[in-house]
Amino acid sequence: MSFILRRISTTKTGKQIIRDQALPGDVITLGRDGSNIIHIADLAVNPQHATITSKDGRHVRVAAQEGLGFDLNGRTHDVADIDSAAGGELRFGGHRLTIAREGENIILLVERIDDVAQSSKDVDEVKAFSLQGVMLGKRMGAWAFGLLMLMAFLIGPIWAWHSYKNVDERPDGYHADSAWLSGDLSSAHASLKKDCQSCHVEPFVAVTDKACVSCHTGEHKAMSMAHANAPTAMLLAARHPPGVGEKILEGFAKTFNKPQGRCVDCHTEHEGAGPMPATPQKFCSDCHDGMSARLKTAGHPTTLADAADFGTSHPEFRPLVRAAPGAKPTRALPGKAVRDFGGLKFPHDMHLQATGGVARMAASFRGRYDFGQKLECSNCHKPEADGVRIRPVEMQRDCAMCHSLAFETVGGVTRTLRHGEPDQVVADLTAYYRSTPPARPLQLGGMQRRRPGAYAEGQVYNIYFREVAVRPSRAADAVRAVFSKGGACYDCHTVVAPQAGNSWRVTPVNQTPRFLQKGWFDHDAHKETDCADCHTAAIGSKQSSDLLVPGLRQCRDCHVGETGARLVKVETATESPCAMCHEYHSDGGKPWMPPRQRKKNVTAITDRPQRGAYDVSLITGPERQGLYDVTWRTPALHGARRGG
Amino acid sequence: MASLFQRRRNKATQTERIRERRHEGFLRHADFRWAKISGGLCLLVIISYALVDVTPRHNGGSWYGYTLGTIGAGLILWLTALGYRKRKMTSTAWSLKAWTSAHVYLGLSLIVIGTWHTGFQLGWNVHTLAWALMMLVILSGLYGVIAYATLPKALSNNRDEMTQMQMLEAIRAFDRQLHAAAQPLTPEDTAPVLAALEEDPFAGSIGARLSGRYPKCATAAALRTLSASRSSDAEAREKVVGLLSQKEAALTRLRRHLRIRGLLEIWLYVHVPLTFALIAALSAHIISVFFYW
Repeated sequence: MSFILRRISTTKTGKQIIRDQALPGDVITLGRDGSNIIHIADLAVNPQHATITSKDGRHVRVAAQEGLGFDLNGRTHDVADIDSAAGGELRFGGHRLTIAREGENIILLVERIDDVAQSSKDVDEVKAFSLQGVMLGKRMGAWAFGLLMLMAFLIGPIWAWHSYKNVDERPDGYHADSAWLSGDLSSAHASLKKDCQSCHVEPFVAVTDKACVSCHTGEHKAMSMAHANAPTAMLLAARHPPGVGEKILEGFAKTFNKPQGRCVDCHTEHEGAGPMPATPQKFCSDCHDGMSARLKTAGHPTTLADAADFGTSHPEFRPLVRAAPGAKPTRALPGKAVRDFGGLKFPHDMHLQATGGVARMAASFRGRYDFGQKLECSNCHKPEADGVRIRPVEMQRDCAMCHSLAFETVGGVTRTLRHGEPDQVVADLTAYYRSTPPARPLQLGGMQRRRPGAYAEGQVYNIYFREVAVRPSRAADAVRAVFSKGGACYDCHTVVAPQAGNSWRVTPVNQTPRFLQKGWFDHDAHKETDCADCHTAAIGSKQSSDLLVPGLRQCRDCHVGETGARLVKVETATESPCAMCHEYHSDGGKPWMPPRQRKKNVTAITDRPQRGAYDVSLITGPERQGLYDVTWRTPALHGARRGG
Repeated sequence: MASLFQRRRNKATQTERIRERRHEGFLRHADFRWAKISGGLCLLVIISYALVDVTPRHNGGSWYGYTLGTIGAGLILWLTALGYRKRKMTSTAWSLKAWTSAHVYLGLSLIVIGTWHTGFQLGWNVHTLAWALMMLVILSGLYGVIAYATLPKALSNNRDEMTQMQMLEAIRAFDRQLHAAAQPLTPEDTAPVLAALEEDPFAGSIGARLSGRYPKCATAAALRTLSASRSSDAEAREKVVGLLSQKEAALTRLRRHLRIRGLLEIWLYVHVPLTFALIAALSAHIISVFFYW
């Protein structure tokens, strides 16, 4: 038996040359050191790594020497017995030792199987020197990212829409189409945030009015009456000619099936959380700026004046007035001196004077009534419960403090003439003269005895008893006096003398509860301003037919256009879009404004006003159904919404 | 007549030659033609945005927003087409250089067109996602332009007239020498040398590639260990130490080369995948607008 070391070298042509070398001795040493019988130039091998021996010439024992073992069949061993007939493969560092048997000899085949260094391995230059080796491929990334985007932001949302296609209300939770939300919904619609389909019902179909009125069944159901009555051709002719931008938008709208004139054209959504913004002035001025000329050209002449901006271009107000005594109320014509005959005689100037009889009388009532040194507007004019308008003046409440109708005191109770009922006045006075004797002269008092001559003509008795006899017929004089110049009625009222078949008549008094029918004015919102700041004509008004409703000029002292445009110098400017005074959907209603801009004490407004508070039937004749139908909202006013 | 054309052609050739000599890159192509065009476009957008009065306020849904959005989407698709164009050889007037120049400058103008299209209304939604992806693509492209303008010089300086494979070959040579020279060393000393040999010169994460920092470098570790070691024959060890430091120098050069190449390429790994993510998000953005019209 002997060990034979076999080495195989490969020529350049790939031919293998096998060299066998008989090894001396029974103990074969293996290691990196040159003194070993099998010398392996491998840094991973110890200088004296292992010994190989065989006792019977068939079984081989391999034993490691210096701690480092060797690998046999994938496991590390320090000692291993190998049947050379069966063969075995051992691994020392980067070398392989194969043990085999040929005849009587044990063949030890040593080969280098690993490269000397990692750097010696072949590399693909393009891949190794670029980032391809360390990064995910660009194409792969493109596909991955692209598909991820499509799944999350296209397929997902469409799936969400599809799943709730025929469902009334979506359940809470995440819905993939919320990724499409282009902006927060206004606070009124905030609860619909997760339910896109509540408005976007059909895919690729622009939001229809149907979606709006399915919830907004009340005041938002109809267009403004003024606009609804106009023929469509007229409404279309009123629009200002489209600019380049609007033509582009129209092109988009037409191409992609987005009809115009829908609710959402004005009530834009997804503009951010918070209250829905009030409709901007442009939506009105788009038509009303220069409209009369356009309508005239188009064959729809109109009396409507042009309006573009409150600060610079707004027609003069046309309050509702009675141009002559007893005339029907009509809107004042622009550019003419306006008088309003209500039937009352009332000189404001006299009542507002700081000196004179009225002021002195008012001063004398201080403490008893709410009077100061002189009369103030508020002494006679009281606002309605909601504060918006001023109550009609009532004789009993607002005048009678000074203008007393008392004519008799019975047991400490003062009897007054009935106000508003001339026939009753006549009857009361007649009864008074019939039932009461004339005042007894002093000479007739006492117990002293009188001489008979006192009954003669011109004497006391004669005078008194004659007076008693004719007293009932004196009533007619008294009635005449009351209704004539210098009498209690005549001072304030226009009195018609009795004619055939008629008794005394007083011309009815008409007080207009709302002068400006097309715009909204809220006295409550202006309560920090003095009355006289706006009602400038009051202090000099000698006749009650002077119209004291302020004009455009007074408003413009504070109110400027939406963007601050103005014609006059304004100290504290209030930017006023059309919607501040004009309501589009219901002509009689109060213009809507975002809750934050409302005054805090709006509860009075939201309470339903008393029946008849706005009873204008007297002026406008029988109420036409729907025209003045104001729906009063009673929203749950949370503190936060009121801005406080 | 013929001579007239001849002269004109001569002049054109001359201009071309001057351009060649001055190496007019894609940035200054045709005297900054595309820079001027896209600059003018941005200016037009910014001024018209301020002048145009849309109600209730600027957003993507106004007529102005639609216009900008259409222009922007068209631009994005055209810019993406550079990837296709650069693979096609043509000899027409639209040279690849002109195309690249337009790609860079019109791409930058997309910052204005895209952002002004939003009306500065951003949120957590697919619309803003598309905008953000667009901005990332543009910014990565901007980085790429800067990298292409500055890094090739550093790459050239580092190479020292060697090719990439020559750099690798130098390391291989040092490795072979190290293996031979380390044979007499003790096992304690051979272990770090062996580790140095077994280290792949191209190993390292993307972070190491781009930063050029390899704190666990086995060659540097071996150099430290052997310099401090006293166990082997001093002469053999010194030889190994010398070889190790030479290998380290060669490795540093290779790694610097890899780093600069990495910096030149890395933006494309953002630019290209995000472009396709952008096109997907843009499709979702456009379809969503019409879906919930």
